[in-house]
This record gives sequence, C-alpha cells and structure tokens, in this order.
Amino acid sequence: MFEPASYESNLLARASLDQCVKCTICETQCPVLAVTPLFSGPKFVGPQAERYRHGLVVDHSLDYCSSCGTCTLVCPQGVKIAELNSVARAAMKKGHTPLRDQIISRTSFMGKAMKPVAPLANAVLHNSAARWAMEKTLGIHRKAAMPTAHSHSFSDWWKKHTPPSAPTRGKVVYFHGCAGEFFEVETSIMTVEVLEHLGFEVITPTQGCCGLPMQSNGLFDAARKHVRTLADQLGVEPDAPIVASASSCVTMLKHEAHDIMGVDDESLIKVGSRIREVSEFLLDLADHDDLPLDFSPIEMTAPYHAPCQLKGQGMGRPAVELLKLIPGLTVVDAEATCCGIAGTYGVKKEKYDIGQAVGRPLFDKVREINPDFAICDTETCRWQIATATGATVVHPIWFLHKAYGLG
Amino acid sequence: MTDVIVIGAGLAGLSASIRAAQAGRRVTLLTFGLGGLQLGQGTIDVLGYTTSGETGAGGSGPGPDRPVARPFDQLPGYVRAHRDHPYAHFSVDQVREAVDWLAGLTPDLLVPGDGANHVVPTALGAMRPTYLVQPSMVWPDPTSVAVVGPRQIKDFYPDLAAANLEKTAQVRTKGYHIDLPARPGEVDSSPVAYASSLDDPAFLKRFAELVAQAIGDEQAVCLPAILGLRRTDAWRQLSEILGRPVVETLLAPPSIPGMRLNEALTTQAKAAGVRVVLGSQVTGFESDGRVITAVTLRQAGRDQNFPASQIIYAPGGFESGALTMDSYGHVHETLFDLPLVGAEQKDLLTGDYWADQKLFTVGVGVDDSMRPVSADKQPVYQNLRVAGGLLPGAIRWTEKSGDAIAVTSALAAVDAVFATSAPQGGTN
Repeated sequence: MFEPASYESNLLARASLDQCVKCTICETQCPVLAVTPLFSGPKFVGPQAERYRHGLVVDHSLDYCSSCGTCTLVCPQGVKIAELNSVARAAMKKGHTPLRDQIISRTSFMGKAMKPVAPLANAVLHNSAARWAMEKTLGIHRKAAMPTAHSHSFSDWWKKHTPPSAPTRGKVVYFHGCAGEFFEVETSIMTVEVLEHLGFEVITPTQGCCGLPMQSNGLFDAARKHVRTLADQLGVEPDAPIVASASSCVTMLKHEAHDIMGVDDESLIKVGSRIREVSEFLLDLADHDDLPLDFSPIEMTAPYHAPCQLKGQGMGRPAVELLKLIPGLTVVDAEATCCGIAGTYGVKKEKYDIGQAVGRPLFDKVREINPDFAICDTETCRWQIATATGATVVHPIWFLHKAYGLG
Repeated sequence: MTDVIVIGAGLAGLSASIRAAQAGRRVTLLTFGLGGLQLGQGTIDVLGYTTSGETGAGGSGPGPDRPVARPFDQLPGYVRAHRDHPYAHFSVDQVREAVDWLAGLTPDLLVPGDGANHVVPTALGAMRPTYLVQPSMVWPDPTSVAVVGPRQIKDFYPDLAAANLEKTAQVRTKGYHIDLPARPGEVDSSPVAYASSLDDPAFLKRFAELVAQAIGDEQAVCLPAILGLRRTDAWRQLSEILGRPVVETLLAPPSIPGMRLNEALTTQAKAAGVRVVLGSQVTGFESDGRVITAVTLRQAGRDQNFPASQIIYAPGGFESGALTMDSYGHVHETLFDLPLVGAEQKDLLTGDYWADQKLFTVGVGVDDSMRPVSADKQPVYQNLRVAGGLLPGAIRWTEKSGDAIAVTSALAAVDAVFATSAPQGGTN
C-alpha cells in the first residue's frame, strides 16, 4: 500500500540513495547479515530495493533488519540507509503489527502496570512455565532478557528528595526516560546526585516515553505523538541544557524522530539541539577544564559497550574518554558492533537466536575482559549483556558517582 | 582538548593520527563513515607502473604502462619526468621510511619490504605489482598453479583467472571448483561471509579437504582473498594441510585483506589514544584568516565545534566528495574552498574509456610541509595540512602509487607540525 505520510517524511532519506556508490561498506559491517542469510543486507534491501519500491515492498527480508543504524554510521557517502529501511518496514507492517509488538513497545505502560505488583511481576518474568506461555501466546522468547520491576519509581524518590540548598552552577533539565523511571531507578538517582554534586540545579519535569520502541516497531503515529509530547515536557527551561542518562532515547530526540518520521516541530528541533547524553555533557565540561577531577581511585578493569543508538549520534564514545579520567580504572572498549537486543528485536521469538548470535562477539569480550562487571549506556543493552553473561552491567555514571564518593 | 584534528580515516588519516599520537599529541580523528582502505587491496603500492606520459612511441594515444620491479630505484627518474607529481615533494628515503614505518606498525599483516615489488594474482588473472603484501599473497614462483574457488562465491571464476594466469604469470594452470556455501543454504555468498566462516577452524578444515580433493599435483594453489577476517593465519593452516603454498587472489571490493588492514590500523590508532568520532561530517570551520581555530562537525541534533591548534585534512578526492565538479565544469574543494592545481586544464574529461581522465590529476597544491598554497605559493592557512588523495598530479590507480603517497604525505604533514610548534602540556 502507498503510505503518503511515511514517504513524505522520508523525502530527504530517499534523496540520499542517489549517493550510494555500491561500495558495500555497509554490508561488511551489518551485524545481522554477519550472522544470518535470512537478511539480504542493508544495501540490498535499502538503496538497491528502494528504487523499485514506490510504496510497495519488494523484499520481505527487510523485517530482519534490527534498526541498529550501523549501515548509516559507516556509510562514507551519507546515504541514510537505516532510515530508508525503517520507513519501508513501517509501511510494510502497517495495519498488521502483531499484538506483541504493540505491547513491548510501550515501556511506560509495562513499568506502570508492573510497579504495584513488582515482586509478582518479577516472579512471573523469571518463572519458566510463565515464560513458556508468554512465548507461545505472545511470541516473546522464553529466554529473552527482561527488566526487573521495582516497587518504587524514580519519581517516588524525587518527590522526597531534598536538593542541595545553594547550587553553584546553572540549571539542567534531567531526562531519565521510561526505563529510568521504572526499571533503572538507581541509575537515575545516581545521575541526579552527580549533577547536584557538581553544583547544578537539577530540574526534573514530568516526562513520558520518547516513542523509540514504537518507531522501531513501525508504529509511527503513536511514536510521533509521544515524541512531540516529550519535546514539550523537556522544553520547560529554554536556556538550560537537557541532560539524559537514557542514551538511546537521546538519539530519538536528536535526530531519529526527524530523520525517520519527519517530525519537524520547532519544539522537537530545539530540544534535539539542547539535549546531551550525560557522558557527553560531562566530557564537554572536562574538555573545557570545568569538571572537578578529585576522583577517588577505582581499581578495576571493565569492558565497555557503546550502544548502537549512541554511536548513531556521531559524537564518538564520550564515556570511554570520560572514564579515562578516573584513576585506577581501565575501561576496555569491546569494539563490538551490537549486543543483539536492538531495543525489542532480540526478545522476539523469531529473532532471538539472531540477536544472540549478533551479541556473541560482545559476550565473549565481556567474559574475557571482566566476567563480573561491564559498562554500557543503554538499559535494554545492559539487560541483554547481563542476561547473556551473568555480569553486573552498569551505566557509566555508576563510576562517576563512586569516584566522587557519593555512594 | 585536542592538539591535532585529523579529518578522514583512510590510509592517510589513520597514518597521520597514529604518527601524531605516537609523538605524544592528543589527536581527534573525525570521519564521515569508514575510510577507503577496505575498498583497496590490503597491499601498499609505491609505484607499480611507469606511465610514459601523454603520448606513446607512435605519437598517438597513451603509451604502454611498464611494470616496475624496484620502485625506489625508479622514483627519481619518474619524478624528473613528472614534475607535478606528489612524490616531487619527498626524497626517495622519505617515501621508503614512511612505507617501512607502516610495515613496522603491522608486522603480522604486512611483509617487510626489500626494495622489490611483489606481484599478486587478481580474479581476472592479472599479476598486479605492489610493494608491501600480506603474507598470504607472496607469489612462490611456481611452474604450475591450481586456481580454486567455491561455486557459491560472488565474482570469482577459477577458469577465467587460470586461463589468464597462463599468459601473465607464465605458469601451467588449471581452474577447479569446490561446492561449499559459506553458510548452509546460501547460493551466492559474499567474501565477508566466507572470510568469517574461515575464521572457524572446523569450516576451514572442511574447506581444505574439498580443495585437496579437487586439485591435481600443481605446485601452488590460488584461492580467492577470503582466507580469514579476524584471524590472520588461516592461509598458513590451509597451506600446511594442502602441503604446498597458498596464494590469496585479489577480488573486487569489499576486500577482505583491506578490511584486515583497516581494522589493524584503526585498532592501533585507538590504542595510541586517538579519539575517533565516526559518522558525522565536517561541514565548516572558523578562522581568523590566517589560522583555522575550529572545525564544525554536523552531529545528530546540532553542529559542534572542535577547536584545535593543528588540522590535517585527509578526506580523499572525488570519490569521497571532497572534490566536486559543478555543472559549469568547475572543480571545487568542498570544505575549505582551497585553491586547486590542474583545474584549468583543457579536456578534463574525455569520452575515451581507456584514456586517463585528467580530472583526476586535479587537487590541492601544497608546499613541502603539506600546507595548501595559493597561486603565489603562500600558505593559505598556517595550521592546515593536506595528505593523501587530495594531492594533485597523479592518477593513482593507473600507476599504482596511492598508498605510499598517502602514508608519506601524512607523515610529512605530522612531522612538519612538530618542527613548527612545541607540544602543549596536558591541561587535564
């Protein structure tokens, strides 16, 4: 079916396909193509097939694209390969998105639903019979990584939290994301405590989902609504930087909502230009000699995995540079392409094995460098790595928090 | 903060980054996508053919290209005949030292040079001259060769390569197929899929068994250049199993040997402390007219300025978009709008398929410290240096010279920086 809204929003990405010189660099780096012949590869389903699509899908292997964005990242010609493919897949699946994809793409809803019954929810998520039933009825793989539900949200903590009385620096708006509200509450608290320790006045507006999981499941209309609402919520302090510990959600605000779904509201563009992933924000302070370096040593060697969506921001790997400043700490960049979860991709019954194969080089690296402790900026990737390796996997802010003596 | 910003992650950019980092400089490497190394052959050219200039002996059309046996011996004469060549900026020793430096960086991957060119077989059965090769490519001077490929691989035809090698390498040859998809059920496997599969010892053993069954009593075996991506000893193991030398045969890109080299140099750069920023384009810069104070990177969501005291610009030429020709036939350098050499030549493009396109000799003219210069030979910016494919005066793919031009100019640019400014103390 021709889908005017999607294709209209995709005009810029479509224009970029003429720049493809068929060098195949994207295909050499695609983590899915590397592990399965079920996917014909980013160039094949992207710039090649796009010329024939005219709104029609010509290659259903497109569904095996995990939307990790590696192809766009490595393209030396500026072809928006991942963006083209995301739009084409949304058009392909429009009107028949499985119930499962509708559920797993609503992180906030899941968090809210599980919070009052957190112990029960956790018991169910770790019960093999229940997981078997979930696989059969919903298509969520029984071994897939799942978040841990909490009885207390970040907002519960924030309401009782007393900020320092006299901030010495300006305001920052804090964006924790849905996972940071319900599942990774500690990461959110640590981020606030580090920012306040540095003297910032932290403002935490009420905030919803960025829409990224919906977008990657092809639910563009819902995703657009969510990202617009979020942009308005985060825009409360027009002159303050917005700092986020949800690194993948930052990507949605910085460019994916615009590049993939054609959202060009001024509020989004402004928020997208002001938002900083927390390591990016702190490294920028360090680069300007404005970050206190009175760190306590942390004697540890730990592997670091840069999430795909963070890499897609085209800013390098700020966490690696930032953590170098902590004495005693050796951070080894695992240099893996993708952990295989790709948001919700790796939990799906039919994609689970592919996701595990994609992540295997990373899991091996983690086991080799430090089987007990690893570092990663994005929640779903942390759950994936932790489930596969048994390691504790933390956000980079964990080290800053500890090195500043805050916990 | 950064002392040196390097733009571009091809051979020139990676070499410049590593050289500057080795010298204790803080380096940020900005690259819009992966560099071109994996589109090359994973070998290092110095000079493969001498071109006889504009006309051949008969006075019409280009002259025959002659293969070069000892490139450093021929460079002085070649530069005398080609005054505008990038090599005219360097001494022969400078080129040799740059290439040796590169070989020393990757001892597992590049065989040290001994002054003589190697010749490496290609998928079309040509014997391609080049200077540094990977150990899997050393031609053992056999009298007979088996050319073997899996039936399922794209773009490798053993019979074609074998028939041509009879003439080009003066050997008795025969082509053979084996039946082994890179992955079960695949009918047109890519070189990357094969190379990854050959990283697996079990697959390698199966592969070797089928090759052993297929071939006759030839002295050596030519296999497509797919012999391992992450491991670099697959060729050695195959050679041991087959009981005779194995030679990797160069394929169309993407090149597995090129991927190995790209990976090795990128890893070296990162290990040396280079901050690599992949995936954003440098779209502008700030300057006071004499000195560039910052370059602007178009990141997701916003433009970010990267201040630096020195800039090394190694973006490549037309192929990467650093040079463009507009609809009026005017050629431009797209970031700094640098003055170009050769852009005013007549007939930049010709319809003759076999003729050299003069367009590809157009580039940014530099002084011997690699600073772009204006028509009156004055540096355009004091702290901007250029390396690699942007330099004018050579059609690299015809004479097989691009790699050493890239490495030598990168090192010249970095070494010139050290000669003109003392390192800044660490401020962090």
